[in-house]
Amino acid sequence: MPRTQKKGAIVAGFLAPHPPHLVYGENPPQNEPRSQCGWEQLRWAYERARKSLDALKPDVLLVHSPHWITQQGHHFLGVPQLSGKSVDPIFPNIFRYSFELNVDVALAEACCAEGAKQGLYTKLMRNPHFRVDYGTITTLHMIRPQWDIPVVGLSANNSPYYLSTEEGLEEMDRLGRATRTAIEKLGRRAVLLASNTLCHWHFHEEPALPEDMSQEHPQSLSGYQWDMRMIDLLRQGNTKEVFRLLPQFIDEAFAEVKSGAFTWMFAAMGYPEIPAELHGYGTVIGTGNAVMEWNLEQAKLSKPASKTRASRRAIRQAA
Amino acid sequence: MAVVSAFLVPGSPLPYVKRDNPPWGKIATGLERAGTALVQSKPDVILLYSTQWIAVLDQLWQTRSRVSGLHVDENWHEYGELPYVLKIDTQLAKACVSATGTIGVKSKAVNYDGFPIDTGTIVAANFLNPGGKIPMVLASNNLYHDFALTEKLGRLAARLAGKQKKRVAVVGVGNFSGAFFRHEIDIAKDKLVAPKYDRWNKKILALLQAGDRRGLSAALPEFATKGQADMGFKHGAWVLGALGGKFTGAQVHAYGPLYGSGGAVVEFRLK
Repeated sequence: MPRTQKKGAIVAGFLAPHPPHLVYGENPPQNEPRSQCGWEQLRWAYERARKSLDALKPDVLLVHSPHWITQQGHHFLGVPQLSGKSVDPIFPNIFRYSFELNVDVALAEACCAEGAKQGLYTKLMRNPHFRVDYGTITTLHMIRPQWDIPVVGLSANNSPYYLSTEEGLEEMDRLGRATRTAIEKLGRRAVLLASNTLCHWHFHEEPALPEDMSQEHPQSLSGYQWDMRMIDLLRQGNTKEVFRLLPQFIDEAFAEVKSGAFTWMFAAMGYPEIPAELHGYGTVIGTGNAVMEWNLEQAKLSKPASKTRASRRAIRQAA
Repeated sequence: MAVVSAFLVPGSPLPYVKRDNPPWGKIATGLERAGTALVQSKPDVILLYSTQWIAVLDQLWQTRSRVSGLHVDENWHEYGELPYVLKIDTQLAKACVSATGTIGVKSKAVNYDGFPIDTGTIVAANFLNPGGKIPMVLASNNLYHDFALTEKLGRLAARLAGKQKKRVAVVGVGNFSGAFFRHEIDIAKDKLVAPKYDRWNKKILALLQAGDRRGLSAALPEFATKGQADMGFKHGAWVLGALGGKFTGAQVHAYGPLYGSGGAVVEFRLK
């Protein structure tokens, strides 16, 4: 840890879903396919989230993605630089993105070690040829298109799919607490990104023109109602009720939060009972997506590390 | 009949990237034997379905004439890379895309540089078709398709190959029992997660070896649930569909654990 740093802190968490359609709709230079328009409400929601993130000046972004699936253990990207072309296996027509990212390897190692201390099976991914999944890339692009903040990528062990939902989410709770300890020990100002959709019922066919917004709406009324119920509770800061309802929400709305990112993030943040900022909600091929923020620093629930850029510089140098 | 050989093989990368581990080396040897048998059957095309190529919208078919690259498995990255070079029979693949509407399935062609080829497809291709000399048709596993619909897809693909007067090798890539260890194990002592999975796998293998089609049809639904067959054994459906259910027996080239799941290399006897 650089000598100038204090104890680290999680300064904010974001629910940051990863439909590749949002990147496609934005037409960044990194993505090959071009769109006419599309999913503006969600893209503009991310624009607001980007401003918040910018003001927070974090040292590192930690993202948990359901599309890096590891059956044996919780894995962490552990290579200083990763680059390549990510083609979405489900939507290759809209997402073919050239990426380059820097990893905060020291923090990844610390998360991995702390996770093991919590009794979890954890592994570092050290292979430089590894292709980063599109969920991680989409979330990172949408929240920080400049790609100038180091990241820690976490895989989805998908324990809730192999164990009971409750048992699986308990593992994610431990992973979250381990993540927090690692951040504090290494003195990082960290932002957590839970890359999850809410209701995950989706259409089974794509419109001929993917960005034909006349075809976009919730796939299911009950799924939409579930989303609104959970978002409303989160806006009220009623975290206890959200987590009491979470297994039922997962079952009835086929919610992607089952893959664990949402629980991981809340456990790391200490399940704060603070009102979430809803930056926006929208559907993508019928699924429900919300961009939401929990600003712990504003709520005086974080113990921030030094706001100087020294630690960020140290990470870049290490990378 | 267009089909000249048919195989079931596991899609785990472990026999390929870590064959020096004895339990997995046995499977690798079995895969090589299957590869020899496949080449000897002199197919014009390999019809391959991998449970690991997941689709949720439409049925996807690879239509890029040549796909190559270096893949790293999402889970077993520490054991190195999986290089691949595959030649695609685009004429047959496109015919499949056009024809699936007749069985109520919407298909889509996949022709993109950098499209991620799944581990199962690569492992099977590297053992059965080294160097990618034989053209292939690669089909995805749409999660919303059931066993019966997958059988229809296999049957359709084989029929279309027959129309193009092609000799066909059919390959289904996936595990038998899909339950696996979630924690770290001593890999040299790898075994099935539980004896019941071993019993189920052996029961299905015995039915295949005996060519007991009726017994197999009766057992498969229960195998899918109680034996936790990988993806409902849809890779088996693909092969059985392509064979029109006609086979007289099978040879098991290898059977064993793959981090707790059941891996078997099976060659169907067609005469």
